[in-house]
Amino acid sequence: MNIELSELTRRFGRTDAVAGVSMEAGPGVLGLLGPNGAGKTSLLRMMATVLPPTSGRLQLLGRDPGRHGPRREIRRRLGYLPQNLGYYPGFTVAEFVEYFALLKDMPPGRVPRAVATAIEQTGLGEAARAKLRTLSGGMLRRAGIAQAIVNDPELLLLDEPTAGLDPEQRVAFRALLRGFGERATVVVSTHLVEDVGAACGQVALMDAGRVAFRGTPDELIARGEGSGAAGDAPLERGYSAVLASVRSVPGTGARA
Amino acid sequence: MTDDVDLSRVWTGVAAEVWRRRPGLAERLAARLLRSPGLARALVTTPSLLLGWMIATLAVLAAGAVATRSTGTPYVALFAPAVAGAGIAYAYGPGLDPAWELTQSTAVSDRMVLLVRALAVFGLNAAAGLAAAAACGMAAAVTFGWLVPMTAVCALALAAATVSRSPNVGVAAGMTGWAITVLATRTAAGELTAAVTYSSLVLPYLAFAACCGAVAWYATRIPRGAS
Repeated sequence: MNIELSELTRRFGRTDAVAGVSMEAGPGVLGLLGPNGAGKTSLLRMMATVLPPTSGRLQLLGRDPGRHGPRREIRRRLGYLPQNLGYYPGFTVAEFVEYFALLKDMPPGRVPRAVATAIEQTGLGEAARAKLRTLSGGMLRRAGIAQAIVNDPELLLLDEPTAGLDPEQRVAFRALLRGFGERATVVVSTHLVEDVGAACGQVALMDAGRVAFRGTPDELIARGEGSGAAGDAPLERGYSAVLASVRSVPGTGARA
Repeated sequence: MTDDVDLSRVWTGVAAEVWRRRPGLAERLAARLLRSPGLARALVTTPSLLLGWMIATLAVLAAGAVATRSTGTPYVALFAPAVAGAGIAYAYGPGLDPAWELTQSTAVSDRMVLLVRALAVFGLNAAAGLAAAAACGMAAAVTFGWLVPMTAVCALALAAATVSRSPNVGVAAGMTGWAITVLATRTAAGELTAAVTYSSLVLPYLAFAACCGAVAWYATRIPRGAS
């Protein structure tokens, strides 16, 4: 298993952003769904080793990220796209991707080809030498995805990766995700259930810091059938049905 | 043998060459010295080593040198620690590095980035300050006297910036601490340059710098959490 979480929590003041999540994931694409404030980003940041957990157990790629050596090894094999992508406005796309290839400790000799491959995979070839300050929101998002995949990660964590992408780019991106999912563990946090239906083999639906549902997209669809839950698409109805059932049990919030 | 050519692979190879960045001399030297191209790249992106900041630093020290020559009061010795402290506080951290969150998830250690950047900023500021002091023809005790207090001010700025995770707090702490020191020693000794010329202050400065360094080291430890 590339991800092993056991009773993982993260508290900010009095708020439990993540309230005891236990989950395992191997190769494949896992979609992380949930309403705003459900704890998706905090969970992803803990898996990206950016945010330490308050309690619980976290193992990534078979290693303990709380220890220096294993943490560095995890980070070498990790790709991460944060929800709010920070960037250096004066860098070109190629410089930005190269910067993170170097920070990920890639052998310098492999960097130029890896950078070119990542840029081509995200369809940014024509903008490779454009300054980041000149790019549209969708192109910036793709530059962020390019830096995340430049090291051919074994664990790829993407927070709202399709925000700002047009439908054509979104379709291409889903194909890219499926390709990565064949050899790596990909976790995608998203609000867009159609992304989950098209690219994810597994779904985890979070609410109030807990995993309320874990299964395949088809199983989530099945939860919505005949429930009368709101939604324009089967996955949306499944999503609504799970949240409604979890919230209808007083005092329990959500269950795993 | 086959005549088939993988055009995609060929193009990627061409693109890799076309898009390859040629690092500058400073970055190549840093990469060799640090044995890490990533650390070297992080070093040359230090906000307080960028051209605009360096020009501002030199301008302040040049103004100090002019004031020193015209009034005889060693303003360079009084300005240099404050300028260096501000540079150190602005070397690394959230709000400064746009991609700080991303950098946090990479293999190159945050602590090493901070250390390397802080040392480089300190070294450049010390060199610029010494050049300005030498240009004024100040006495040797004053020319070199501010280096130890500068170390203490830089350590204070670094500790405050890392604990608060705010470069502005670091700058404020460094400048305020230095202003209080200058005014207090002036009141006690009756001369403006007492903070940089009194040898009895060297040990307290060094002890204070060591304490601040320890605080910064602790503040930048790997947060273990529970795993």
